[in-house]
Amino acid sequence: MDNSEKKSTGKKVLDKFSDFSARVGNEVHLRSLRDSFAMIMPLFILAGVAVLINNVIFPLIASGNSLVNLQFWGNMVTNGTLNIAGLVLAPVIGYTLARNKGFENALLPAVIALSSLVIVMPFTLNVIPVGATKTVNVSGILSFSNLGTTGMFAGIIIGLVATEIFMRLSKIKHLKINIGGNVPPSVSASFSDMIPVIITLSFMALLSALLLVLGKTNLIALITNLIQEPLRRFNTSLPGMLFIYSCGNFLFTLGIHQTVINGTLLDPVLLINMNKNMAAYAAHKAIPYILTNTFRDTFGMIGGTGSTLCLLIAIFIFSKQRASKNVASLAGAPGIFNINEPVIFGYPIVFNIPMMIPFVLQPVIGILIAYFFTSIGWMSRVVVLIPWTTPPLLSAYLATAGDWRAVLVQLLIIIFGVAFYLPFMKISERVVARETALASKKTV
Amino acid sequence: MTTKKIMLVCSAGMSTSLLVKKMQESAVAIGEEVSIFATSASDAQNKLDSEHPNILMLGPQVKYLLSDFQRRLTIPVEVINMQDYGLMNGKNVLTQALKDIG
Repeated sequence: MDNSEKKSTGKKVLDKFSDFSARVGNEVHLRSLRDSFAMIMPLFILAGVAVLINNVIFPLIASGNSLVNLQFWGNMVTNGTLNIAGLVLAPVIGYTLARNKGFENALLPAVIALSSLVIVMPFTLNVIPVGATKTVNVSGILSFSNLGTTGMFAGIIIGLVATEIFMRLSKIKHLKINIGGNVPPSVSASFSDMIPVIITLSFMALLSALLLVLGKTNLIALITNLIQEPLRRFNTSLPGMLFIYSCGNFLFTLGIHQTVINGTLLDPVLLINMNKNMAAYAAHKAIPYILTNTFRDTFGMIGGTGSTLCLLIAIFIFSKQRASKNVASLAGAPGIFNINEPVIFGYPIVFNIPMMIPFVLQPVIGILIAYFFTSIGWMSRVVVLIPWTTPPLLSAYLATAGDWRAVLVQLLIIIFGVAFYLPFMKISERVVARETALASKKTV
Repeated sequence: MTTKKIMLVCSAGMSTSLLVKKMQESAVAIGEEVSIFATSASDAQNKLDSEHPNILMLGPQVKYLLSDFQRRLTIPVEVINMQDYGLMNGKNVLTQALKDIG
């Protein structure tokens, strides 16, 4: 490059964006957050399966009292997954953060995070006993509402903060009790971390007590109302979500995985929506949200990020280039399961300006179409979390707990996507053809 | 002579597992004894601890992890070439890996 000193402004902005994203991708707390979600995803997927079986399959084979008895199974699953999402997240985050920071005994921070989360729980609760109408104050219990989806951010933040405090304290030499001698290493390790553990948990308890005595509140309520809900409301609003999602997808056109942005900013809050939808569906209540992570995957990630299945179909039907067809046949099978790195790096989408446009815009259009049909009530809301690798058409059917209209909407989005990708594919192939011709001229 | 171990990492460990298959095929073709496996970014540290690979190769979409791994590991760490990754060119990636292991 001879004009590397005179970088254009656009190039500079792109570089800044890539650098920033790489830093986000490598930032240890955010990485631990994504790792934690990856680790506990099976629990939420099981919750989805249980919700499906409970509300779609069981009613086919039983009714009345025996149905109620059968459905206890799914309700128990919901209790152990969705209803303790925050409680599970705190120790998992403690563990992943400790591991990513190279802390020797990563289980200890996990225990501290768990203990801290319970320490900051409200001391007394207002509950409605079964069969009563009036609330009563009780102490000595933990409630699913604080441990579950609503408390997810509390779990995340307490997990990060408690682990961070503990690890910093455990680095201080003066706080280590050294018993020396011939004690087994694990025994001496438990002693050497004793003071940092004591200080961390005591500090959490002090914070909790101060909030209770002075503010008549608790940390869970504070985190939920001051951090989680404003963030969730903005990031899962239609414009907010589409903007963030598009930034993430644009990042992929520069070769960096979209989860760097989306896994950090969107997944946690969209998952809260998803889990609340699942819980509401399981309890036969009104479904609160349209936008959830599965809604996004189902209508905005058909065949993988950028809904590239539409591009593959366009290539299969309309392309005349052998190289394109080769990539498409290689990428076809994984594409059905929404894995599309072969398309992104092989076609390629990366740094291929005409292809960047539909790659970023098609997901937005898909989500808007599905949002429209959902909001006018023509198709059911997404109530089941399904693995993101679920093939298209089946995914729309399962995610909406068996609504065939959602499948039609997904099909409509795919047809639109093929038409949308087509002209850009033609431009891209013309560019490639011209470059190949030029290259062959040069070599002759 | 111990078997050489090659570890691949991508975001979810899905697309690299496709590449693993292609690499194994080309290893058989050249008669090279290698064990190749893929995992997700979140599981990478566990696998490094348990498997002790001779080389770590990152999918291009997680190249931002490169500096961190390079700092912490003594084995060679490198990012797979974008085009080889996209076209799932197992032969090229394997050749590169064997060259780096030495």
